[in-house]
Amino acid sequence: MRTFIVWTAGCLVVPLMTTLAMANGWNMPVGVTDVSREVHSLHMTIFWICVVIGVIVFGAMFYSLFRFRHSKGAKAAHFHEHPLVEVIWTAIPLLILIGMAVPATATLKKMYDPSDADLDVMITGQQWRWHYEYLGEDVAFTSNLGTPRETIRGKGERGEHYLLEVDEPLVLPVDRKVRFLMTSDDVIHSWWVPDLAVKQDTIPGFVNENWVRINEPGVYRGQCAELCGINHGFMPIVLQALEEEEFDAWLAERKEAAAQEASGVDREWSLDELMARGEQSYNAVCASCHQPDGSGNPPAFPALAGNQALMEERERHIETVVNGVSGAAMPAFRNTLSPVEVAAVITYERNAWGNETGDVVQPSEIAERLEE
Amino acid sequence: MWSVVKSVLAAFFGVQKDAQRREDFEEGHPVAFIAVGILMGLVFVAVVAFIAVSAAR
Amino acid sequence: MAPKLPLHHPVEQSSTASAGGQAAHSAPPRGLMRWLLTTNHKEIGSLYLIFSLTMFFIGGVFALVVRAELFQPGLQLVEPEFFNQMTTMHGLIMVFGAIMPSFVGLANWMIPLQIGAPDMALPRLNNFSFWLLPVAFTLLLSTLLMPGGGPNFGWTFYAPLSTTYAPPSTTFFILSLHIAGISSILGAINIIATVLNLRAPGMRMMDMPLFCWTWLITAFLLIAVMPVLAGAVTMMLMDINFGTSFFNAAGGGDPVLFQHLFWFFGHPEVYIMILPAFGIVSAIIPTFSRKRLFGYASMVYATGAIAILSFMVWAHHMFTVGLPLTAELFFMYTTMLIAVPTGVKVFNWVATMFRGSISFEPPMLFALAFVVQFTIGGFSGLMLAISPADFQYHDTYFVVAHFHYVLVPGALFAILAAAYYWLPKWTGHYPNLKLAQWHFWLSVIGVNLTFFPMHFSGLAGMPRRIPDYALQFADFNLASSLGAFLFGASQLLFVWLIIKCVRGGEKAPAKAWEGAEDLEWSVPSPAPLHTFEHPPTFRHDEK
Repeated sequence: MRTFIVWTAGCLVVPLMTTLAMANGWNMPVGVTDVSREVHSLHMTIFWICVVIGVIVFGAMFYSLFRFRHSKGAKAAHFHEHPLVEVIWTAIPLLILIGMAVPATATLKKMYDPSDADLDVMITGQQWRWHYEYLGEDVAFTSNLGTPRETIRGKGERGEHYLLEVDEPLVLPVDRKVRFLMTSDDVIHSWWVPDLAVKQDTIPGFVNENWVRINEPGVYRGQCAELCGINHGFMPIVLQALEEEEFDAWLAERKEAAAQEASGVDREWSLDELMARGEQSYNAVCASCHQPDGSGNPPAFPALAGNQALMEERERHIETVVNGVSGAAMPAFRNTLSPVEVAAVITYERNAWGNETGDVVQPSEIAERLEE
Repeated sequence: MWSVVKSVLAAFFGVQKDAQRREDFEEGHPVAFIAVGILMGLVFVAVVAFIAVSAAR
Repeated sequence: MAPKLPLHHPVEQSSTASAGGQAAHSAPPRGLMRWLLTTNHKEIGSLYLIFSLTMFFIGGVFALVVRAELFQPGLQLVEPEFFNQMTTMHGLIMVFGAIMPSFVGLANWMIPLQIGAPDMALPRLNNFSFWLLPVAFTLLLSTLLMPGGGPNFGWTFYAPLSTTYAPPSTTFFILSLHIAGISSILGAINIIATVLNLRAPGMRMMDMPLFCWTWLITAFLLIAVMPVLAGAVTMMLMDINFGTSFFNAAGGGDPVLFQHLFWFFGHPEVYIMILPAFGIVSAIIPTFSRKRLFGYASMVYATGAIAILSFMVWAHHMFTVGLPLTAELFFMYTTMLIAVPTGVKVFNWVATMFRGSISFEPPMLFALAFVVQFTIGGFSGLMLAISPADFQYHDTYFVVAHFHYVLVPGALFAILAAAYYWLPKWTGHYPNLKLAQWHFWLSVIGVNLTFFPMHFSGLAGMPRRIPDYALQFADFNLASSLGAFLFGASQLLFVWLIIKCVRGGEKAPAKAWEGAEDLEWSVPSPAPLHTFEHPPTFRHDEK
């Protein structure tokens, strides 16, 4: 009998400890949208249903194990079927499931209604960064991992947001319905921010829809959730939710900066200017595959440093960066980088790491090509 | 025929009396059970699909 | 399960049979050729089991590489590229090389013995389907040494990561999957032919032990879905080498199509890896409860229902790809329904134990651990079925915890239980009790220490298949890594135990377990090379 009490206590202690652990932040976040709250409550409901069923089933099992031990001289009974009991224990789970399906259906329908959005944001997954475009606002930028490579390799302190920090976060307003249009330039990624309860695959050739209406300003972090290659673990998402007026001010500022960037196309750039700009863009966009020192990662990602073909064929170099290589891992950058950035990156690649061709590719040249 | 449908329904639900089961196996024709089973499988898919479509509306 | 075996006759019957067997056959070839050419179901069964044990350790080492890298934050031991190859190979080897062949091995050994057949129906095919496996897996493992490395796109190999962006070795990976798939299909055909044609006179379908039933249904699943996998990988092959665009969006193809094809194979595949385990547990629990299985007919029906439903739920692996709302609802409902027949099985096992006379030999320990921990995996499966909540669980460690609970303390524990249960029949000796108990408790502690914290790290937001993680996941990962090494090391005990058991130990009688009732316990232990050359007459104990 004493062992029986110990085991029963064990059966109760495990779910209790689990609950305690989950209350301590080891649980799905409640999140900051109405939808995420509903999802959290669905999660907790089904969890408790499982706990109750588990206690009953395992309780019955451990009771049998202790009560009917061979070593205590238990004699086996002979029954081996009981249709009524079987009907009951088939019907009860069925009813529980129907009870569970109703609220799940209601929540799902809400999640599937992106209509009447106040703002559209295009999210594009790329190996291994996120590109955000505020549709109709002429504002677009890429968001890269902010943690330095050396830190990952063990040099220097790991900060509080290790691997969950970016150079430029997605900025969204609170209390407005934001619709996401999601796609990918290369492989399948998945955009996930737990606090929003949004996880949506970004798939090349498809545009998926999703939406949020954030209730509280703050910084929310997430990660790519679909294996997308070498740096799958290193493409975080950071989202900054601002009060509406702050957001409008931010957007206006970004619009102006974008206009300035566009005007840069018309003027002549010097080699040094382009090199400085190019190094910045190269390290943000290209270095994850071709490495900061241009050594690449053959065979998938060829070396750029000392690459004879690259140095000799200026035209093909430009073509490759602008339109990508079909059937290979190299994406087209015509839509994700500005003409200034494309020109700067190409100039940088043709002159850095001992590739001293002296070539200058002007932003105007790229802009002309894009108009064709 | 009705008894075949009843037995297949019982199979779908997963509960059947031993005596009834024995009767099915001794007297029923397997082809009848398989045909009715496939038919009712399709009906089952149609029913769930119908529920899904109407719930989505 | 109405009828029970005749306890009086087959012992002497089969010993004469084995004597006759030796006279009828010329001396078998010796050495390597004996194993290469064998058509004996017991020898091929042993080959399958030894092969799967080897693969289990290779796949296990890969898992330990992964767990060692994840021991603490930062990149320490391996590059992300190699890490991805390890997660991929671990999955492929464990699924196709360890779990599936071990079930085929058990089927080879036990199905003829359980139905009173002299051998499998197609012995030469049996030899062929085994020897395809070492070829397939040598090829698969050799990709690790090729330029660009082995498969690095996860065991689910989603296109276009596995086509346009894949390493050059992918073509070899496809070939090895084809060979392994052919092996599975041939094995399945053989099992169906055996179960349908070679039952002892008087044994009806509903008289068969549940292991035969679950394997029969599994074999139909295999035949239905393996060709789908073959089709999908052939389309990959065409995309990679012959310029087609089945899955390449840039060429007008559809990357989501790949996922539909893969999971139309993949979900039944999940049941392929668990249904035979249900059969094993349904044999062991009645034996050590000394009481007939509760609801035998319900168990058969539930297995059938699970098999049929398994074809209607595949897209629950794809809730986040942007399915239409109607499809999302359809697959949520069908997935939730699967919980019902699965629940019936668990209830029946508990009801079998209720008012039984229970003892705790090693097979029973593993079977009991199976029931509890498989059910935990079932619970998380039920949670995953709720589509809105799945958006949070999908592709996180919560999913990793879920399917490992179903596959490790689930399928694998059932296989270990089967090994302990039938080792006396195979070797003529009981396994060492003390060692087996150590193995059991270390395995249970190791498995739960490894996989239980993964529920929490997943809920807290850790995606799967990442080589490095944010600091808040550090404690969970530390625990998981310690548990994994404990679990891995304790499996060495199992190997030691098997070697000891083959060499000697307490002699086992024909009926090695007091409560064991099926036909295999009527032949001597160890089972002679040839059994049931004259079929036993099967007696029904109709009431």
